[in-house]
Amino acid sequence: MSAPKDSGKRFVQTTVEVEGRTETRVVELPAFEPAPWGADAPLAIVGTSPPRVDAREKVTGRARYTADVVRPGMLYAVIVRSPIAKGTVTSLDLEIARGMPGVRGVMGPGDAPAATRLFRRDISYAGQSIAAVCAERLLDAERAARSIAESLIIAPAPHAVTAEEALANDAPRVRDTGNATEPDVVTRGDVAHGLTMADVTLTREYRTPVALHSALEPHGAVCEWNGDQLTVWESTQGIFRVRSDVAKALGVAQSQVRVIKDYMGGGFGAKNSAGAHTYTAALFARALGAPVRCINDRRGEQTDTGNRPATIQKVTIAATRDGRLTALALDAIIPLGIAGWEGGPAQIFHELYSCPNVRTSETMVYINAGGMQAFRGPGYVEGAFALEGAMNAMARALQMDPVIFRQKNLATLDERTGRAFSGNRLGECYTEGMKRFGWPSTVHRSPSGVARVKRGLGVAAQTWPTGGGPPSYANVRINSDGSVDVLAGTQDLGTGSRTILAQIAAEALGARLDSVRTVIGDTERLPYTGNSWGSMTTPSVGPAVRMAAEEAKSHLLDAAAQMLDVPVERLGARDSQVLLDGVPARSFSDLCRALGSVQIVGHGSRGPNPELAVVTVGAQFAEVEVDVETGVVKVRRIVAVHDAGRIINPALAESQLHGGIIQGIGYALFEERHIDPATGMTLNANLHDYKVPTMADIPAIDASFLPGADPAANHVGARGIAEPPIIPTAPAIAAAVADALGVEVCALPLTPWRVLGALAE
Amino acid sequence: MRLSVNGSPRDVDPTRAPTLLAALRDELGLIGPKLSCDHGECGACTVRLDGELVYACLTLTAACEGAHVQTVEGLSPAGTLHPLQQAFITHDAAQCGFCTPGQLLAAQALLERNPHPTDDEIRVAMSGNLCRCGTYPKIIAAIRAVADASGGAAGAPA
Repeated sequence: MSAPKDSGKRFVQTTVEVEGRTETRVVELPAFEPAPWGADAPLAIVGTSPPRVDAREKVTGRARYTADVVRPGMLYAVIVRSPIAKGTVTSLDLEIARGMPGVRGVMGPGDAPAATRLFRRDISYAGQSIAAVCAERLLDAERAARSIAESLIIAPAPHAVTAEEALANDAPRVRDTGNATEPDVVTRGDVAHGLTMADVTLTREYRTPVALHSALEPHGAVCEWNGDQLTVWESTQGIFRVRSDVAKALGVAQSQVRVIKDYMGGGFGAKNSAGAHTYTAALFARALGAPVRCINDRRGEQTDTGNRPATIQKVTIAATRDGRLTALALDAIIPLGIAGWEGGPAQIFHELYSCPNVRTSETMVYINAGGMQAFRGPGYVEGAFALEGAMNAMARALQMDPVIFRQKNLATLDERTGRAFSGNRLGECYTEGMKRFGWPSTVHRSPSGVARVKRGLGVAAQTWPTGGGPPSYANVRINSDGSVDVLAGTQDLGTGSRTILAQIAAEALGARLDSVRTVIGDTERLPYTGNSWGSMTTPSVGPAVRMAAEEAKSHLLDAAAQMLDVPVERLGARDSQVLLDGVPARSFSDLCRALGSVQIVGHGSRGPNPELAVVTVGAQFAEVEVDVETGVVKVRRIVAVHDAGRIINPALAESQLHGGIIQGIGYALFEERHIDPATGMTLNANLHDYKVPTMADIPAIDASFLPGADPAANHVGARGIAEPPIIPTAPAIAAAVADALGVEVCALPLTPWRVLGALAE
Repeated sequence: MRLSVNGSPRDVDPTRAPTLLAALRDELGLIGPKLSCDHGECGACTVRLDGELVYACLTLTAACEGAHVQTVEGLSPAGTLHPLQQAFITHDAAQCGFCTPGQLLAAQALLERNPHPTDDEIRVAMSGNLCRCGTYPKIIAAIRAVADASGGAAGAPA
């Protein structure tokens, strides 16, 4: 035996869009690519709505989330956080805590590896970790943590918690490299020329608030060392990312770290990496030789796990009298917090409409507040509020129906990159949405004779890159009783990926859905997939699962052909039966029993992306009532129509639309982080004062997808759906409010005082 | 100190577990009730105490002596599903599922009090239980389905 001279593998470059950022990656070409499932592919399981495979676990309370993981001898860790935004820790007493009942360990400044960024003396935002306690019970740890907090003395330093403060001439230095980035300017065409071509030019300033993810399950980890092997149970959108973060920060090999994520209580973008809680649990567990659980309390969750940053967006929009856009310009300032990747609002200005002249400028500003993290549709949500607000203002100025105005400016290719779309049926989304909503319609502006209650209608649209891409791997294993395991190192945030991957595998394999189990969330046992972010899981992992299932099927049918002594071309599979000339001949279980322990495994990987723009698009219509005496806005109904290619499970996809729209309603009407200017402390770091929508706030929602498939995007024909629906909700509601009042409110959220303020002007 | 949890007598120590939530989760190993806000703001810890809905994170264990506590684990005998649990499955009324135990108990209490609520009554009664995934329309549909199946239309004369 000798090693093969050539692995036979081929590697190519491809581009992948992650949360609106384009990355170039080297990827492995799959051994084969199945023929795409076109719109009329005869599919029996994909495209139907079986219940979630894990629904029973969830409704019986048996689903085990990270905070439900209990290990023998487990200890509890609590983090002590800075109450103020900037300063230096001059004194804190760890010794009192060390002597308190049940306390097993204490860490403070200097006690953690620098790469973890834990427990520093220099404070640059409220909520930053200063120390941590580990004790036998949570109560003991909390008590000891309070004693440390009471002993804490921080010499305060001047801070900046708004963009205005950070950009002032005498601003305190937030980061050593400066408080702002150089403006990132992206141009196509010539905006000055576009303005000369216009009949109408409008300028507006839009402001959006800081929004907090507020997943009901806080970030958390349980860490346990066995010798030099570390197991991390973590509530995360990216098990492999947490593994590499932890390995790097602790200076161990990735093979020494196993990350497990079973059930998780939401993520929405905030749970994409290891955090202070992870490192705290891992360090205590190593030092104390016992498993350690560290779960954020709600204040820690709302201040130190990321946010959607605020924006200040100056928009210029120009159009001809007949409704053609001639120029779009954006000058945006984005106070990111103390850190964050730079996902600003500009990109949607380049993508949603056909416009020959576009110029955007983004300046990222650092402030003394928790850093941003991706939050469902990052950048596009903020940008859409400004872009769509300006589009609606222009439609009013042109006295043109806002849908007709949009349809005149439909993008027929991605004008940012020059790429053709794999599929983009935004025009049909408008048409279908108008039909469902009853648009245009004459609104009774003062229904039921109450003059102070005004009604209005509004519309807005969205685009979002949802192509996903490599690398993503999956294996499909047929067991000796004919049952099937789908193995993929991905995550289910509550989105339903466990279910839809099982559907794809069952479809491709010809197996009964109830015989297929999806195993996800374990770096040690499962092949690599990327983070579940950017609406990427279905279009990335779905094709890998399909390919693995197709390969497993071909192995099974090869075996069946031998055993039945027929040519393999006469065989097929359906409902866990091998078909001979289309007629059931042997069940999978009989066949596999006869094969005994012969292992049938198919391997799948996600191939390179096409040279196309792959986007999910949609339009939303809103009807609101505004009480002009109280300023209270009530959303009466939302109609949403989106185009995402093939929908694997319509019921679960509808749930994703509901979720995005409802978070969009929160962003439109209620949600806003408030920071005390004097201390830099978040004043509403809880779920009472930070208002997420309740059931009583929810209108009638009619949310749907256009039927069809996008076989040019990938061979499953599906694009991502999780983020798109939040993008147009707030601008559609704002447009409806403007329609009701005849006055635009250009800042979110549309609280009573903002509405009354706009009316007073 | 003794109380009844899902029909069985259980002993808990209020000094070790001052809140009912800590007693249920940490002393008795019931993972249905969740710790999320710890301030009675979100409803993830909702349980029933002598039939009343309470936030277990705000309920003192010491005040529960002799009380009957029901968690989601006690909603139906093992291996069976309560009609609400079945309806939540059928209507996809759980996304991440973290708030679901509390939602189910709030829905159970609502239907006992008002077997045929209007949608607006459902919205108000359930508004103490947050769902950040935005599953609300499907929770309403699930409750509606159970109410309708129990006979008689909402508002119909008795």
